[in-house]
Amino acid sequence: MALLEYALIGGILYGIFFSLVGIGLNLIFGVMRIINLAHGQFIMLGGFGAYMLARGMGLNPLFGIPLAIAGGIVIGYPLYYGVVPRLQKSQDPEMLSFILFFGIAQMIEAVAVFAFGADQRSLPQDALGSGNIGVLGQEFPDSWWVACLVSVLAMLGLYLYFSRTRLGFATRAIMADRDEARATGIDVDRVSAIALIIGIALAGIAGVFVPYLIGSVSSSIGDGLTTTSFAIIIIGSLGNPLGTVVGGLVFGVGTMLMQTYYSSWSNLAPYALLLAIVLVRPSGLLGRAVRRA
Amino acid sequence: MRTHLKRAWTACAAGLLASGLALSAAAAQTAPSEIKIGTLYASSGPFAVASEGQYHGLQYWAAGVNKSGGVFVKAFNKKIPVKIVAYDDQSSTATATTLYNQLITQDHVDILMADFGSVLTSVAIPLAAEHHMLLIDPTGSGANFFTKKTNYLADVSIPSSTVWPLPLAHFILAQKIKRVAIVYGSNDFDASQAETLKATLEKGGVKPVYYHGVPTTESNYTVLLHTIAAHNPEAVIELGYAPNDIAFLHALAGSGLHFNMTFTIFPGQLLALMEKNVGAKTLAYTYTYPTPPLVAYPKTTLGPNTAAFVKEFTAAEKAAPNFLDAAGFNTGLIMQQMLATAPKFTQLDFHQALMDMSGKTTTLLGEFKINSHGAQMGELPPVAQLVPAGKGVTPVVVYPQDKATGKAIYPAPKK
Amino acid sequence: MRKPPAWRGPGLVLVALAAIFAVAPRLYSNESVLFTMMTFMALAQGLNLLYGFTGYLPFGYVGFFGTGAYATSLLVTFTSLPVIAAVLLGGLAAVVVGLILGPLFRLSGPYFSIANLAASQIIYNVVANEALKPITGGPYGIKIEHVYAPTASYVTMLAILLAATALAAYFRRSRFGLGLRAMHQDPISASLAGVDIVRERLIAWLASAAIAGLAGGAYAWNLSVFYPEAVFTLQISVFAIVFALFGGVGTVIGPLLGAALLYAFYAGIGVSAPQYFELLYGLLIVLLVLFLPNGLASLLTRRNVDVL
Repeated sequence: MALLEYALIGGILYGIFFSLVGIGLNLIFGVMRIINLAHGQFIMLGGFGAYMLARGMGLNPLFGIPLAIAGGIVIGYPLYYGVVPRLQKSQDPEMLSFILFFGIAQMIEAVAVFAFGADQRSLPQDALGSGNIGVLGQEFPDSWWVACLVSVLAMLGLYLYFSRTRLGFATRAIMADRDEARATGIDVDRVSAIALIIGIALAGIAGVFVPYLIGSVSSSIGDGLTTTSFAIIIIGSLGNPLGTVVGGLVFGVGTMLMQTYYSSWSNLAPYALLLAIVLVRPSGLLGRAVRRA
Repeated sequence: MRTHLKRAWTACAAGLLASGLALSAAAAQTAPSEIKIGTLYASSGPFAVASEGQYHGLQYWAAGVNKSGGVFVKAFNKKIPVKIVAYDDQSSTATATTLYNQLITQDHVDILMADFGSVLTSVAIPLAAEHHMLLIDPTGSGANFFTKKTNYLADVSIPSSTVWPLPLAHFILAQKIKRVAIVYGSNDFDASQAETLKATLEKGGVKPVYYHGVPTTESNYTVLLHTIAAHNPEAVIELGYAPNDIAFLHALAGSGLHFNMTFTIFPGQLLALMEKNVGAKTLAYTYTYPTPPLVAYPKTTLGPNTAAFVKEFTAAEKAAPNFLDAAGFNTGLIMQQMLATAPKFTQLDFHQALMDMSGKTTTLLGEFKINSHGAQMGELPPVAQLVPAGKGVTPVVVYPQDKATGKAIYPAPKK
Repeated sequence: MRKPPAWRGPGLVLVALAAIFAVAPRLYSNESVLFTMMTFMALAQGLNLLYGFTGYLPFGYVGFFGTGAYATSLLVTFTSLPVIAAVLLGGLAAVVVGLILGPLFRLSGPYFSIANLAASQIIYNVVANEALKPITGGPYGIKIEHVYAPTASYVTMLAILLAATALAAYFRRSRFGLGLRAMHQDPISASLAGVDIVRERLIAWLASAAIAGLAGGAYAWNLSVFYPEAVFTLQISVFAIVFALFGGVGTVIGPLLGAALLYAFYAGIGVSAPQYFELLYGLLIVLLVLFLPNGLASLLTRRNVDVL
């Protein structure tokens, strides 16, 4: 029984963090219909950012969060105006973005190898607290709780942005119908550029905690994170950022239960769940039906 | 009468043919201006850390021999400089296949050497055999590579992974540890070790209380550790690659759990990397397989001993070598001796030279012993415990007895 | 003006392909490069059969490739069938997997792609699982060294490439293909016009799966000692997609040209400037998408050349 409880609570914590891992990808897809195949590489950059702050300057890795936001602006703004309007004019932006961002992912990885080499890097273990916090008698490392708290805050922030700000309303209008939004006088490019910045920044923030949750960060972790993120956002619902939370929880709990009872099959869990869920509910757990033919 | 005549003619023709062959062979045997050694390395992807180490060690060896005019090649009775032809396979087997072929068919290298590890070595095995090239395999110790007699494969710097855990299993039995948990990555390197470990323990009457594989990409051990702890093991053996070991040790440190004995593989190969990532405090009193330079072989028949190698390498490269640097260097040494003893400059003579060296050669990695299937059967890694020393940890060999430099502190003290 | 017979274009392409790859090994002895190039050309063409004509992008295309590779290797290991038969059955195995995954067509665009990816990962994880060690070799990989035959597998791959190209030509020129494309552009009118959407799409899907399965079988034969990741790496899907799009999907020559040129470039920088390999490759792809989004074939169609 204790094992089951431990796996469930662990899965929830892990899942909440992985919602943060996936949410940026989903936001960008929802707003721009762009498949950001470099998502995992942006997470990796966030991890290296925190690493530089912590090991190079002796700062707390949490300062990686403002750095990730700054990075999101510096990368996202030119990236948007450089590629997105052009992509959207093409016949099949979804699929072309897929290739374009594959190219970007390759470039980021190459630059990361030049800059950081291929080694694994970790952050100081006790920087986020060295103890354990228990719930229902089940103890988890402090770093898990901090990562979870930040994830919740980040997603709460996103929710408030959508529901309380003009830009957020505009973003939702664009998600509903890009052309209509443009017709009603919304500056689609500006709002979308901000969404891209937020998406990349959220990926970077998730990256700050990656070394704590998965042991280390290295230049080659990007693709794996992208694939996992895809699974999570599809389980939730593609194009609906807040649905990602559901996807993350299903992923986290499913993975931890599998790991506890059938460890060698545990990396099958997210994919099997994804397949099962989309076949039953083609638009994801929280999605509207979006079937064409 | 006629048959005699015919025989004489045949003999004559055969003689002519033979001398012709000998002539053309001699022509082909004019000494080349350089010995081309072809190899691959991975600058990115999951094998990059290890592969770059091995490549670096090889380059260090080549620079060393070229400073003194090259390697002595017995077939030509003179010293010839070596040239390394190397390509980057980015940890991809598809790319590695084409690049190995490039080395063989385009660059016409004299010696073919594999990249690090079993995955990147695997695709070269049939290619090398097809082109009748001896594949010098530094660290590809895959369990199913060595299933039949071959002249075209030789594992030179790492023992077959199936024999690695023998000393570890004997140590556990000698310590009278009864409750053992084994968690391993589902890949050739780790799974074959887990299998041997389990079988040897069971032969000694110890049935592991927990024995499960996890995906090779496993990165989160927190929940898994609790599952393991629920079986009350005295010893927890985690067999993984470096990222697994890092994640495992992190999770262990963060979990508040404590076991009498904890074992991981990579502190014994990449101690600096592991210390940097998980810290000396977490590593303290855990066990590992120490590999040179962490364990030293003072008496060698070929090349510097381990301590001398560390000193020379550190002076030249401004950084201490790790195991993979040593493995790359050792591979160079073995090839050097092979060229120095092979009577003719052919792949089969190279292979025979290696077989002749087998069992009579000791290098900085210990005994060199190869079987007819190409598997390395030399030095088995001992068991060491990492004990705190200054700011870091240092390995103390605790098993087998004849190599021990100290006694195991068992159970491991709580931190 | 008389129109040339419908088969002339496809015939020329097939003859040219066969001639080039028959002669190439005599001019350039690194057969692995040629073989891998053909593999990616066949995969890009196979992917084109589905994506180019229906708009469904199979992100997990590598799943069929790996299925074919393993089915072939297992048949070679456990039966005494000739290798060629094993390769053909490898293609059949991929078709069976395709049938099982048929319900994925209930999904639209990106959902289909990612669900297909998930399916390929599931196949991979099952094949590579230790529980299946006695059958598939699990994480220990598989070894069919005893049938290793570089030339025979080379010819087989060429035949598969020709078959894929012939299928693409059929799709491009026949009523069947016309129906497929009509339903891609406007599913409702197409179904009103009597196109059996579900059936035709399934046929395209199975044809596409068969090509990947066959290619996987021939690839396994050519490698003959490999680990599961060698035939299930996502890189194979991504390359097939990128190559096909670079050349121009929906055409016959586009994917062929795309795969040949980009792979040659890939192999070229791999040998000459490995340290900038990833960076250059990434940059090239970004530039292509921005400045040549409909692929090489669009350079011709833009000038009103009738591209096959």
